[in-house]
Amino acid sequence: MITVHNLHKTYGTKPVVTDISLEFPTAGITSLIGPNGAGKSTLLMMIAKLLEPSSGHIALNGQKVNNIKTAEYAHRVATLRQSPGFNLRLTVEELISFGRFPYSRGHLTQEDRDIIEESIEFLELEAIRNAYLDELSGGQRQMAFLAMTVAQKTDILLLDEPLNNLDMKHAVQIMQALRRLCDEQGRTVLLVIHDINFAANYSDHIVALKNGTLKFNGSSEQVITENNLKALYDLDFEVIRNKRGCLCNYFNL
Amino acid sequence: MSTSLKIWGTLLFTLLLMCFFILIGSDLDFNYIIPKRLLRLATILLGSICLAVSAVLFQTIVGNRILSPSIMGYESVYLLWQAVLLFMLGAHGLTILSVSGNFAISITIMLFYSWALHFWLLPRCKNNIFMLLLFGLVLTTVITTATQFIQLSISPGEFSIFQGLSYTSFNRSKPETLLYGAFIVAVCLWMGRKTLPILDVMSLGKEQSISLGVDHAKYISLYLALIAVLVAISTSLIGPTGFMGIFIANIAYVLAGSNKHRTVIPIAVTVSLIIFLVAQLFVEHVFNYKTSVSILINLVCGVYFLALIARTRGTT
Repeated sequence: MITVHNLHKTYGTKPVVTDISLEFPTAGITSLIGPNGAGKSTLLMMIAKLLEPSSGHIALNGQKVNNIKTAEYAHRVATLRQSPGFNLRLTVEELISFGRFPYSRGHLTQEDRDIIEESIEFLELEAIRNAYLDELSGGQRQMAFLAMTVAQKTDILLLDEPLNNLDMKHAVQIMQALRRLCDEQGRTVLLVIHDINFAANYSDHIVALKNGTLKFNGSSEQVITENNLKALYDLDFEVIRNKRGCLCNYFNL
Repeated sequence: MSTSLKIWGTLLFTLLLMCFFILIGSDLDFNYIIPKRLLRLATILLGSICLAVSAVLFQTIVGNRILSPSIMGYESVYLLWQAVLLFMLGAHGLTILSVSGNFAISITIMLFYSWALHFWLLPRCKNNIFMLLLFGLVLTTVITTATQFIQLSISPGEFSIFQGLSYTSFNRSKPETLLYGAFIVAVCLWMGRKTLPILDVMSLGKEQSISLGVDHAKYISLYLALIAVLVAISTSLIGPTGFMGIFIANIAYVLAGSNKHRTVIPIAVTVSLIIFLVAQLFVEHVFNYKTSVSILINLVCGVYFLALIARTRGTT
């Protein structure tokens, strides 16, 4: 379980995250939503230990993350940033084996190989396992990166805009895979996401930020309401719910 | 052709090339010609290792394949020091100091420079390696200008000595400098050997490697230090190599067809060895020392490198 206590982050004199305290629930998808510049990615990067908070602290199961060594943290939390402008000549399988690095330190055991195999199957990447990353489409590449993160076998996964630049089919595939990770394996997924409909339909929990402060925090049903979304995005919303899910319409209102 | 066959073939070819280099037109003169050539061969070997390893390491940690360590200004510091020596002590100053004395002092100065960059400049750049590169570039220009200023004040005779020093050459080393150099390089490689898988992870970039449990800042320091030592040794042994490292590393990436440093580094060393040997053979037997190894390598490899970039549209 991740808890955040009075977290502040400033870049120079510009505050990006101001006094955020909250508790992320375990086992399930939590989406971080909010307009551009709300501090979502900054918050996620601080949880990932990729950014140092200006003040306040983050705790993992009660232990301050600053006191956890990088090598140890990689056994417990896996992070995937927006997939980088990548020019390495790596095959999908080679990339996924990097997910075992925190355990194997470069010497794969049979157990590591089994887990790599499992991740390839989990994301249905068998057909492209020997393809080179620079020859794949953006969606396939994102799936490969996700498989690497899955192979890290951590309880917590942090994903920074995993749906960026993906078509609907790949976006749905990724969200369904994350859903299965939580439901079948009991993992915790925290992700920054821009598409409000994906957030509303696939997450258990939603944390909404605006101008670096916490605006709403609760279950998906509690947060996704017309009034909340209007306050968050300064846009009129129509939220349509039925038994298949919910649709947030913000066009032509 | 299977991979192991390729490897053995290349090794055999390199060995043959070495024998050819030692024996061609030597009349089996074991008193003078062959010992001299063995010394050059050893210099080439050590120079290749330093150049190839430092270039590949540097490109991995900065995540860019068209940079080489010379951008940090190590070589310009070396040249500045040689110019200062010539200016203060004159042409015979170098003889007073002896080759090994100059070798030791040059290495110390370059290591001190790298230490200053690392402990003084890097924290001021907020540990941002790209800021460090930019500062390195600016420093290189400043130091080079200072060197040029001194060049204008020295006599033509001293100037020609200086020019000789600013080219890559395998004729400058002495057995004792080689021995010290080889010892230090062996220690460095021994230390770096176990961290090869970490280098593979670091090629994924800073954030991904931290996420995979690599203490990024610590290993950047380690590799910058290793690079500084290797570059210092190769520069004092064979002179500035400028951008040769870029050609060698990129040729190695293409030949290796993989990003595993365990594969890439030995291939890069072999590529560098072959290129140096062939260039030296040409300089000795075809051009009769009318051109220099640097000119030849930069000309041929530069063209090949441009062709490579054009063919792969910059994805290498």
